[in-house]
Amino acid sequence: MRPILQIISLLALIALTLPSIILLAGRLELNTVKWIMLVATAVWFVAAAPWMWKDKAK
Amino acid sequence: MDTEQQSQQTQAGSEFEREPVPKNALLGFKSFIGMYAGEHCAGTELMIGPLFVASGVSAFDLVMGLIVGNALAVLSWIFLCAPIATRRRLTLYYQLEKICGRRLVTVYNLANGVMFCFLAGAMVTVSATAVGVLFNFKMPGLNDLYPNSIGWVIAVAVVGGLIAIVAACGYQTVAKFANVAAPWMVLVFLVFGFVGIRQFIEATGTEISSLGDVWGLAKTQIWKGGAPLAGQVKFTFWHVTFFAWFCNIAMHIGMSDLSVFRFANKSWYAVASSAGMYVGHFMAWISASILYAYQLHQDPSNTDVLPGPLAYRAAGLVGLLCVIIAGWTTANPTIYRAGLAFQALAPKSSRFKVTLITGAIATVAGMFPAIAMKLLGFVALYGLILMPMGAVIFVDFWLIRKFGLQSSYADLSGKTFNWAAGLAWFVTLATAWVLVKFAGVQIFFVSLPCWFVAALLYIVLSKFYQKKVRPAVAE
Repeated sequence: MRPILQIISLLALIALTLPSIILLAGRLELNTVKWIMLVATAVWFVAAAPWMWKDKAK
Repeated sequence: MDTEQQSQQTQAGSEFEREPVPKNALLGFKSFIGMYAGEHCAGTELMIGPLFVASGVSAFDLVMGLIVGNALAVLSWIFLCAPIATRRRLTLYYQLEKICGRRLVTVYNLANGVMFCFLAGAMVTVSATAVGVLFNFKMPGLNDLYPNSIGWVIAVAVVGGLIAIVAACGYQTVAKFANVAAPWMVLVFLVFGFVGIRQFIEATGTEISSLGDVWGLAKTQIWKGGAPLAGQVKFTFWHVTFFAWFCNIAMHIGMSDLSVFRFANKSWYAVASSAGMYVGHFMAWISASILYAYQLHQDPSNTDVLPGPLAYRAAGLVGLLCVIIAGWTTANPTIYRAGLAFQALAPKSSRFKVTLITGAIATVAGMFPAIAMKLLGFVALYGLILMPMGAVIFVDFWLIRKFGLQSSYADLSGKTFNWAAGLAWFVTLATAWVLVKFAGVQIFFVSLPCWFVAALLYIVLSKFYQKKVRPAVAE
């Protein structure tokens, strides 16, 4: 389960950043970027909390 | 700012508070990279970046000043702080106690606690600006010193109250949450920069086909230089360099991070501080400053430095969330740590109550926008006040025996207040005050000469003090 959550967390961080790079290239609207970032944020906290919390508790 | 790191020092320090860290408890290089990278990306970065723009900084001065200043900060960790930390492996407080005596350390704790209270207040201010976006009440302007609306007072009271309660009840939980949020927060700061540049490209109609074009945009539209906004000090290359170098002076030259690097296997692990400097004090400051420059570009009369609205315009709800979390996760340990510092004055008092009272003081401080709006000056003052003790530790470790004097003299003599160290501290601060008040030296630059003043004073005063106050065994 842990490796899967780590992959999802990584994808969430990519989804958080990549749209703004596409925006910078002028190929995406800011509103779309904001929505994608919101979803990516939710995914990050849901996926990263279980394994990062445990990591720090060790 | 890295106040969270300091509270973690306290946590870590609780294991080996009065003994050297044993070999089996040492940490690897990676631990320090993660610690510094995450913890120097805090709520206050969202104030500092815009305040650079308000100070009329130019693109070259900002970028080069940050590169040089942050490099000097990293070198200070590597060559001043870490070598002592990895040789003695003691906390700052225990080391100070051996040199200065328990009573003088208590005074140091008090100064530290007061400064932390105000710093936490600025972080509460940052978080409250996000609440202002949601409830649309009047928020303070760049030159406001006092709270300017009931809505603002209520917002700060609620945000600060919650932070204080959490700090008193569940500090550990927030520290863990801060660790989870850190990578996300760093990237949101990066996004602020990308969005800001795009907004400038669209607003100015600039054609970008190379990095040179981006630099041209930066020079002519984002950081144009020129006169600062009303009430602000003009920032040059030297201001930016010294600010970047000394904004964490309490930690490197001031030796606060002895408590961190005593866990490092090798002193060169302090290179890890560059992760924090170039993520938080380079990328994050630049990103936040772009957002503010864009606000000024859109409406030059809107000089308000309000992280909430700035972040909301760039990244919507995620931006607001970032402001709240950045302020909260850094104010929380700051209040906790200030509480610990105050508790040292009355060890029998309840930590819960002391932290709550400390949080209340920080909350009241947060209602006054003066601290956040004058954050550049406040950060310089905070570092200056704690820096002389770093000079005392440096001299005590490396130089004092070469002058025929004893190291760790309070420990040796059994005294609880080493007047040589105490006077070195107080006279240095008085010298700094004179330099700023009467010699026209700006507060951003005064720490450098004052380090030498403190070092010299400690040696000279120790000559007299150690002659007069003999170690108990020698009597």
